[in-house]
Amino acid sequence: MAKLPTPQELVASRPDFPEQDWLDVKPQFTPGSYCYPAKKETMELLHMPNPHDWDPAAEDWNLPEDWEKILCDAFAERLEKHRSLKLFMDICVRCGACADKCHFFLGTNDPKNMPVLRAELLRSLYRRDYTMLGKILGKKVGARGWDKDVVKELFYYAYQCTECRRCSLFCPYGIDTAEITAIVRELLHEVGLGIHWIMDPVKNCSFTGNHLGIQPHSFVEIVEMLADDCETITGIRPKTPFNEKGHEILFITPSGDVFADPGIYTFMGYLMLFHELDLDYTFSTYASEGGNFGSFTTFNMAKKLNAKMYAEAERLGAKWILGGECGHMWRVINQYMATYNGPAPSCMMDVPTSPITGTKFTNAAATKMVHITEFTADLIKHNKLNLDPSRNDHIITTFHDSCNPARGMGLLEEPRYVLKAVCNNFVEMPENTIREQTFCCGAGSGLNTEEIMELRMRSGMPRGNALRYVQEKYGVNHMACVCAIDRATLPPLANYWAPGVTVSGLHELVANALVMKGECKRTMDLRQEDLPNVEPDETETQVEGQ
Amino acid sequence: MNALFQDQRDEIVNAWVEAVFNTYALETTGFLRTQNDPFANPVAHMTREAAGIVYDAVAGEDVDPAQVKKAIDRFVKLRAVQDGTPGQNLGVFLLLKPILRKMVLPRCSGSDALTSYYLEAESRLDSVMLLAFDMYTADRDIIAESRITEIRNQHAQLVRWAQKVGGSPLNPAGKE
Repeated sequence: MAKLPTPQELVASRPDFPEQDWLDVKPQFTPGSYCYPAKKETMELLHMPNPHDWDPAAEDWNLPEDWEKILCDAFAERLEKHRSLKLFMDICVRCGACADKCHFFLGTNDPKNMPVLRAELLRSLYRRDYTMLGKILGKKVGARGWDKDVVKELFYYAYQCTECRRCSLFCPYGIDTAEITAIVRELLHEVGLGIHWIMDPVKNCSFTGNHLGIQPHSFVEIVEMLADDCETITGIRPKTPFNEKGHEILFITPSGDVFADPGIYTFMGYLMLFHELDLDYTFSTYASEGGNFGSFTTFNMAKKLNAKMYAEAERLGAKWILGGECGHMWRVINQYMATYNGPAPSCMMDVPTSPITGTKFTNAAATKMVHITEFTADLIKHNKLNLDPSRNDHIITTFHDSCNPARGMGLLEEPRYVLKAVCNNFVEMPENTIREQTFCCGAGSGLNTEEIMELRMRSGMPRGNALRYVQEKYGVNHMACVCAIDRATLPPLANYWAPGVTVSGLHELVANALVMKGECKRTMDLRQEDLPNVEPDETETQVEGQ
Repeated sequence: MNALFQDQRDEIVNAWVEAVFNTYALETTGFLRTQNDPFANPVAHMTREAAGIVYDAVAGEDVDPAQVKKAIDRFVKLRAVQDGTPGQNLGVFLLLKPILRKMVLPRCSGSDALTSYYLEAESRLDSVMLLAFDMYTADRDIIAESRITEIRNQHAQLVRWAQKVGGSPLNPAGKE
């Protein structure tokens, strides 16, 4: 006679000592846990190896016939090319310092999301072919061979790592787990496995210069539309120079700021700031994308997509490049650009120098690219901006350190300096969740796609949890950030974990506080919402008085 | 009556927390048990926060539904996005029952009043489960809405531009 199982049986608490070792437990490809695969046509257009149709949820991924040889050869080639990779494979002592630092591990509690064990997925393959003990003792020393389930496992976990590098911060050896993830993704691309959310922007970027594949004329018209919005709010229509030669500065920002809400308000902030400064700058419709999804694909793809920055600066005769609020764009610039495409064109100035303050950005001498937050902080420091922070008084803000600017380039103080200058109410989140230790938004490195929304909610939980804490304790109702992916991914995260908190870029708040020469009375913020602290007009006061 | 549940409060709350931790992989459980920082180990913090108030509510203390909802909110949100079926993710509340039956029920033997009080406590646990169920479905709705909103936001300006230039079937004249 059949009986219904008890709740305990349904919940399936595991046995005290599971029969399977952690390495033998295979992931389940359930909807919501994996990204959609890249289209075959996309991969063909980009000349990626072994393009084919496949489905992550299917048993057979249609790998090429000699998939194992391809992967072994590709791994060998990369071990030869990157000495760092060989070191990362060899020197880990499995101390576990990184184990509990990953937001994916904290949110999923899946042991394979411990950075040490995620890397172990690749290291176990390395051990079999490249270490004496592994060759002799095999599984006893954690070595294993390739099989199709291993490929699936690598895919599953390489796309449950946002390459945020929080784990690396705690590694006594400085092992950069993000680079291990990057290599795994590269290897998977050798057998035609990539994801749509990354490869589609890569394709678009390759052909039209930005992630959505917007043609130059449309790009310009959308920016013009945003300039019109600025005029509605301030009475001043900022200039929108495009592809003009002979300007001192080329400005490059992620295209998400032009197309996506709420990034557009940050972009409007740039327009208003540059207009107020009468900055000698131009946009480019060719280098119309700061982001580099190639860096989530392969070394060579990242190099190709990055090349347009210097090429366009040289073509337009710009002396240096000012970069907008972006995340991985800055990691690529600071850590890889010189290797990819350096040195910078000789026409560019030795050290980027602010034309407004004369400050030399010596930190950007090699890359010739200055972060807009550094630029604006310098303006404020030299008292070049007329700011009215009381316009942001309805906001109690905190600041989310975006992983790449924080850990990839050390941009920690400048955004806080700017934020405190434009906003009277600033509260930090707990110490072990900010600055170098910042928690990822949960959707970086090309994982900001909607089909894995629930995965993003659990991987972003540590950030959402810290935000909720300051919301409950200090009444925080706003979170500023300096990354376009953050601006796209943090709103749903905040809505889930800390409903009522809005998210914006830093320069949206700067422009809200910026008192422009000749502007009309501001009654709206950049989102065209009424400013709550605006005093009523005289006529209205009189009416009330009567 | 209160003594029936209060005497072993900490032990029972801990036992339930352990039962919840045991729904995760063995390699994870040790970390969940030992790290007490609310931001370095948020899952354990959320679980413990929920455990205390759920137990008090079940025990018949003066706890209203709003307090219970607030205390289990983070925990339910977490379970709503973690791996597993809805039954598995919410069923953890019912793991308290066998613990109560093992540690509290034997003390009621021979007393109809105590037994009746115990059964009421189990019913209150069912109520907690129903509250959590409402919250769980609301959370899943937020996830679904977020997916739609995100798709809309990604192309917001492009759609606006298309409508302006007459690229939209809804606005072929291209008027804003």
